[in-house]
Amino acid sequence: MSVVYFLAGMVIMGGIWALIAKLTKNEIPAPAATWKVFKEVMHHPFQNDADQKGIGTKLLSSLTRVSIGFGLGSLFAIPLGLIMGSSKIAMRIINPMVQILKPVSPLAWFPLGLAIFQDSPKASIFMIFICCLWPTLINAAFGASNIPQDHKNVSKAFGFSTRKYLTKIVLPFSLPHIITGLRLSIGIAWMVIVAGEMLSGGIGLGNFVWEEGFNGGSVAKILVAIIIIGIVGSLLDRCFTWLQQKFSYAI
Amino acid sequence: MSHTSIIAAEEDIAEIAGKVLEEASTPPVSIQIDNVTVSFKTSKGIYTAIKDIDLTVRKGEIVALIGHSGCGKSTLMGAISGMVKPTSGEVFANDKKVTSPGPDRGIVFQNYSLLPWLTVYKNIYVAVDSALKDISAAEKAELVEANLKMVNLWEHKDKLPGQLSGGMKQRVAIARAFSINPKILLLDEPFGALDALTKSAMHIELLKLWNLDNREKTIVMVTHDIEEAIFLSDKVVVMNNGPAATIKEIVDVPLKRPRNKKDIVHDPKYMEIHDRLLNLLIDKFSIDDEH
Repeated sequence: MSVVYFLAGMVIMGGIWALIAKLTKNEIPAPAATWKVFKEVMHHPFQNDADQKGIGTKLLSSLTRVSIGFGLGSLFAIPLGLIMGSSKIAMRIINPMVQILKPVSPLAWFPLGLAIFQDSPKASIFMIFICCLWPTLINAAFGASNIPQDHKNVSKAFGFSTRKYLTKIVLPFSLPHIITGLRLSIGIAWMVIVAGEMLSGGIGLGNFVWEEGFNGGSVAKILVAIIIIGIVGSLLDRCFTWLQQKFSYAI
Repeated sequence: MSHTSIIAAEEDIAEIAGKVLEEASTPPVSIQIDNVTVSFKTSKGIYTAIKDIDLTVRKGEIVALIGHSGCGKSTLMGAISGMVKPTSGEVFANDKKVTSPGPDRGIVFQNYSLLPWLTVYKNIYVAVDSALKDISAAEKAELVEANLKMVNLWEHKDKLPGQLSGGMKQRVAIARAFSINPKILLLDEPFGALDALTKSAMHIELLKLWNLDNREKTIVMVTHDIEEAIFLSDKVVVMNNGPAATIKEIVDVPLKRPRNKKDIVHDPKYMEIHDRLLNLLIDKFSIDDEH
């Protein structure tokens, strides 16, 4: 049944798209025309020659940057968030910094990354790293600061060591919150990487949209890129939703 | 020397001898509560939960704390367990002043307090592992197994708490408290959330465990169930309503053990104690009493 609903949604979206194509007199290519370009683009997806890179190669390149930035950011944000949530003093010290830095557009960090690393791919990773910090940090802190008194009492009553308290209570209790943070982070990272790659050039989906799509004069390629970016983004989200379900416990 | 004084002296000796005999036959003090007051700082000022509480519990006794909701039963329990620091006064458990929770006092919490991400087995194992530092891993595993078997939950050892019924969760919590082999067992409304039938079965279960241990464990339990208090305990401590709750009266329960759930209710002594407790706890018995 859910497949039927899914298809219905797709059909409606296709209808709107076709209508827009008609209204713009095919300035925006129709679904059928785009499908043709899509097949072309998908011809040698993993071609990796010096002058010709397939769309798959570009996708992997973007994903690699996102993974590195996301991984490093999470590695930083999870422990810091747990410390923030466990200690009121740490919360008071770290929270103002987070509140000031969090609303800054991730793109604003890009030139700073360039200045630090003198290398645009590294600057992209730096930008992803920064934007992945906040949601994870805040959610981990929220988890750690909301540990139920019951669980704390168990730890007190049976004399848990600090290590045991962290591994058997703080971490498992915060895990669903951390995963929520990671899910938000990866979503933002995936949005930001495309913009970042438009700025930075190099191999990647953002670059594909900008160079081959916009500068190459093929709106169809832009649409193809949008579809690929959308599908990959929703798959990433799915992964974390699955993790979330896996680590939620009935009480 | 007059005749009367010799008689008086003989009476003194008899009295002293009686005292000595009594002391030899009464078990040693397990919990000593001296003049304990507990106050909390709240947004509306200082709230005194319990005031000037004195209580002595002897080794192997089962004592029930009973009173209306919010009368400070749980606070008093917290003072014994070390979870709550008295504002004034002192609590001694096993001859040591209570300053923090310790493995000599096992606690069964009101809402089971099992860690939902750990299996039944691991819930008990982490507690044993933390509380008993001097024994080997094999001995710890043995303790966990023995206690889980004792509450008939060995076949459920790999389940998560979320997969268990309320009664089963409570049995896990009791097994956890027993497995660290504490001299004192503190039960905070342990059966409050269970249905009447399960509750009844758990009473028997608890007494069975206590018997298996040669009735050496001291048990203090908070309850607001009069029947439960009489069936299980040697002494029922009735508390006044808070704030600043005090002990209203301590009612002895001299009913012989082992007690039988079915027979005990027909025992005139039971009925007498039941009446006494009802009178202490309830002001109005029917709608007519309002006039």
